[in-house]
Amino acid sequence: MSIHRNGIGHYIIILVLTVCALILVYPLYNQLVISLTGSDYILEASGTTIIPHGFTLNTYKTVLAIPKVARGVLNSIYITTAGLIINIVFTSMGAYVLTKRDLLGRKFFITMIVITMIFEGGLIPDYFLMRKLHLLNSYWSVILYKAINPYYLIILMRFFDRVPLSLIEAARIDGLNETKILFKIVIPVSIAGIATVSLFYGVFHWNEYFRAMIYLTDEMKYPLQVVLRELLISAEKASFIGSMNFLKVTAAAQLDIKAIKAALIIISIIPILVFYPFVLKYFVKGRLQGSVKE
Amino acid sequence: MKGNIKKRIVKDRQMYLLLFPVILFFIIWHYIPMWGARIAFQDVMYIGANKWVGLKHFQLLFSSPVFLKVFINTVIISSMKMFLIFPLPILLAFMLNEVNSHNFRKSVQSVIYLPHFLSWVVIAGLFISLLASPEGVVNQIRIFFHLKPISYMTSTKHIRWVFVFSEVWRSIGWDSILYIAAINSIAPALYEAATIDGATHFQQAVNITLPAIIPTIITVFILNLGFFMNAGFDQVFNMMNDAVINHVDIIDTYVYRVGLMQGNYSLGTSAGLFKGIIGLVLILSTDKLSRKVTGEGVW
Repeated sequence: MSIHRNGIGHYIIILVLTVCALILVYPLYNQLVISLTGSDYILEASGTTIIPHGFTLNTYKTVLAIPKVARGVLNSIYITTAGLIINIVFTSMGAYVLTKRDLLGRKFFITMIVITMIFEGGLIPDYFLMRKLHLLNSYWSVILYKAINPYYLIILMRFFDRVPLSLIEAARIDGLNETKILFKIVIPVSIAGIATVSLFYGVFHWNEYFRAMIYLTDEMKYPLQVVLRELLISAEKASFIGSMNFLKVTAAAQLDIKAIKAALIIISIIPILVFYPFVLKYFVKGRLQGSVKE
Repeated sequence: MKGNIKKRIVKDRQMYLLLFPVILFFIIWHYIPMWGARIAFQDVMYIGANKWVGLKHFQLLFSSPVFLKVFINTVIISSMKMFLIFPLPILLAFMLNEVNSHNFRKSVQSVIYLPHFLSWVVIAGLFISLLASPEGVVNQIRIFFHLKPISYMTSTKHIRWVFVFSEVWRSIGWDSILYIAAINSIAPALYEAATIDGATHFQQAVNITLPAIIPTIITVFILNLGFFMNAGFDQVFNMMNDAVINHVDIIDTYVYRVGLMQGNYSLGTSAGLFKGIIGLVLILSTDKLSRKVTGEGVW
């Protein structure tokens, strides 16, 4: 569709799209500016500040020195990494087997999985189950309850479907067992699919807060998003100072609460911003895969 | 025949071995909680077995004015999102299609997908900072025009619109992907022929682009309709506060608050189950509708 368009209509569209893009980015940019503003200027900094006056990284130093935040970052990295490994191993096992068309009972198993996409027991039965399994306050609660996401399983099946059958048959003739075929052949040739699904799972774990909030009782186990929620949404300055009483009170008092909040927001989205440009095409691919019917 | 089945199972035994933990996962984390939801029909006993009480908790639920309000809120918030937001990604895809510069189009696309990957905790934090205080950008603009600042997050008149707007902010780009892909798959020859025939851009958009993406539009709409009861737990949960709770409390937040926090486990579960059953009926009937309209189901 390389038809050249011109005229006033074209410029209006360019203008509208530019404004849209600015509206979408501006809130994040504004937080970045506020988080970098020096303490002498922070009181005047507002939603319309474009440039950080008295540029400083002090806010970040202070925020990362809050034990809860530092622990939160580590907990999130741990949960995301461990969760991701488990997700990929089990999701690819399921996707590999269910891609085999002539498997006896295939339809039954797929139906069983699809049912879980449209009906669920709900929050309270989930919580009771966790309690019964003695997983409350264990990292495993947050990692295991979504070890396999049925949507991502189906997306991965579509990728595995494209692996040439001849490749798999040849490996079988060579005497490889199914586990080896999956991990040594199917996964390596479906790396785009694995990447796509990993990204979805990764974002899911990194952004997860609700189940962590209800399953984990020890605050030192909270992932970053739960800490973020406490500090961003439910807390006032008093509780901030409380959580930083290890610091000299003066250091904390110098910081404006909005600078602290802004720095927290930026810290929590850094991993997403870092990976985003490189992985965007996989996300888009996944979005399209998820929509095409089987 | 029996021998045949046995032979097939033996032949694929390694496959079943690989599948076993997967199925076990779904049984433990999905089917056991479904069975666990029977406490909606029981009184939870701390000592001894739970007592079956039939529909007692459902009767309690339906006679509760709070739940009635919660149900109405769910329908209102969901309808606002569904009907007001739905056309926007389509419009966006149309506009992107009209852009000449490949680079400009790519840049806009990569920017507008970003908010989808932020958690609702972060988005709520952003919007609170944007809208709540007089320092936020929206109120700064109002002050510039000598208007009184509004505390949007605590205003019962505005909060639902904050939901709509933040939902658009988060998902307009992401939701446009499907339409962009559908538009990209239109044969360029159609446009070329139309141009030769002297059709304007607007005529081309209406007569070529729109008909080509109508199946996508219908499918997405039907799929959304199936999830109508999900009014957006994470959004509401992170943006709600005591000042607006009566206007924004939805079934999912009710289940959390009344069921889990206040310990009315059976009542909370029955509310969740009620929502789940409506959802199931909606999904099954919209799937049927889809089969009628587009010739294939969404599931």
